[in-house]
Amino acid sequence: MAGNRDFYQILGVPRNASQDEIQRAYRKLARAHHPDVNKDPSAEDRFKDISEAYAVLSDPNTRRRYDAFGPDFRQVPEDVDPEDWRQARAGAGRTRQGARGGFGYSDAGDIDLEDLLGGLFAGRGGRGWGAVPGADQTAEIDLTIDEAFHGVHRSVTVGSGSRARSLEVRIPPGVTDGQRIRLAGQGGRGSDGARPGDLYLIVRIAPHPRYRLVGRDLYVELRLAPWEAALGTSVAVETPAAEAKVKVPSGTSSGKRLRLRGHGLPNPRGRSGDLFAEARIMVPPRLSKAERDLFEQLAAVSDFEPRRQR
Amino acid sequence: MSYALVRVRRLDIDSFAAAGGMHPDVIRKLVALGILDAAADSAGALWFGPDQLAALARVQRLHAAFPLNYAAIGLVTDLLDRISVLEAALRRARRPGRG
Repeated sequence: MAGNRDFYQILGVPRNASQDEIQRAYRKLARAHHPDVNKDPSAEDRFKDISEAYAVLSDPNTRRRYDAFGPDFRQVPEDVDPEDWRQARAGAGRTRQGARGGFGYSDAGDIDLEDLLGGLFAGRGGRGWGAVPGADQTAEIDLTIDEAFHGVHRSVTVGSGSRARSLEVRIPPGVTDGQRIRLAGQGGRGSDGARPGDLYLIVRIAPHPRYRLVGRDLYVELRLAPWEAALGTSVAVETPAAEAKVKVPSGTSSGKRLRLRGHGLPNPRGRSGDLFAEARIMVPPRLSKAERDLFEQLAAVSDFEPRRQR
Repeated sequence: MSYALVRVRRLDIDSFAAAGGMHPDVIRKLVALGILDAAADSAGALWFGPDQLAALARVQRLHAAFPLNYAAIGLVTDLLDRISVLEAALRRARRPGRG
């Protein structure tokens, strides 16, 4: 589907649409896809398609020629009358009909859209503006926590269809959720060689099954047996960088946060985030005879009253 | 004690109009409508920051695409700017407790 050049389809109107209908469809689509209204990188290409379709279909004369000759109508000499041509073709037998789904035109070379639209913003209505710089665009980029931690090379595809382009982007270590990465000059194209706009990538960090991310701080659940929490221990915790040892002090209750300073996401301009291991005391779902005896002993001996605290 | 001179990049109306490809009279009109921001010096001359070239480009694109007069474009650009601010706030709000 490289380059859908059916102008009626682009505007979403039937082939017998009235000029009013065509204008209405164009106005609606132009409002939705104008590069200053819609920051999606593919909107600009859509807008150009819409504008070109409207430029052709809004003029009854070019529309007639487009209907007769198809998208390459500009290559048919001006003095060929669409009506004569249609009759001549009908007489010659409709052998080619249907090859391109309804139209019978030949596929003789493509028009260069950039040539046609180079002056799209500058030239319309004869206002004679010079070069107009392109609009800024935004796109989202999804990263995992590990990618945000270590940095990553990504190939980002912006735009749509045949005009999609791929950018190699280096995401530095330590980007945060919602951060904007500016790619200078990768936004909307300017007209007449004016400078293009910028493309802003907005970082989205996907939820992680183990980590919760708040800014640059990582939170991870630290499961402890009751005796580990009571007596204190040292536990290995996985972090995006490497395994780290957390020292659990004796008398740790559920919800207590043990901080591993600097083990969160790195910060290219300042202090790294921290990793917080959140204690969660787990009890064996089924107790062995020995365990039950010991817990019963503990219950008899202890005067600890958890609900009276605070 | 000496201070480094900070060069403020700003354009007078003629160079601004030339850079934007428009007549200075149109630029004055856009300033009068509050669509472009300009500082007036004591002599009454207008000076433009470099960011105003991007603002002007947006005005040109909108003007070329829609049958809007310049006053209406002022409203459109104000609304677009407000939407950008709100979208940014929404992005921040969706992620609680960002550091």
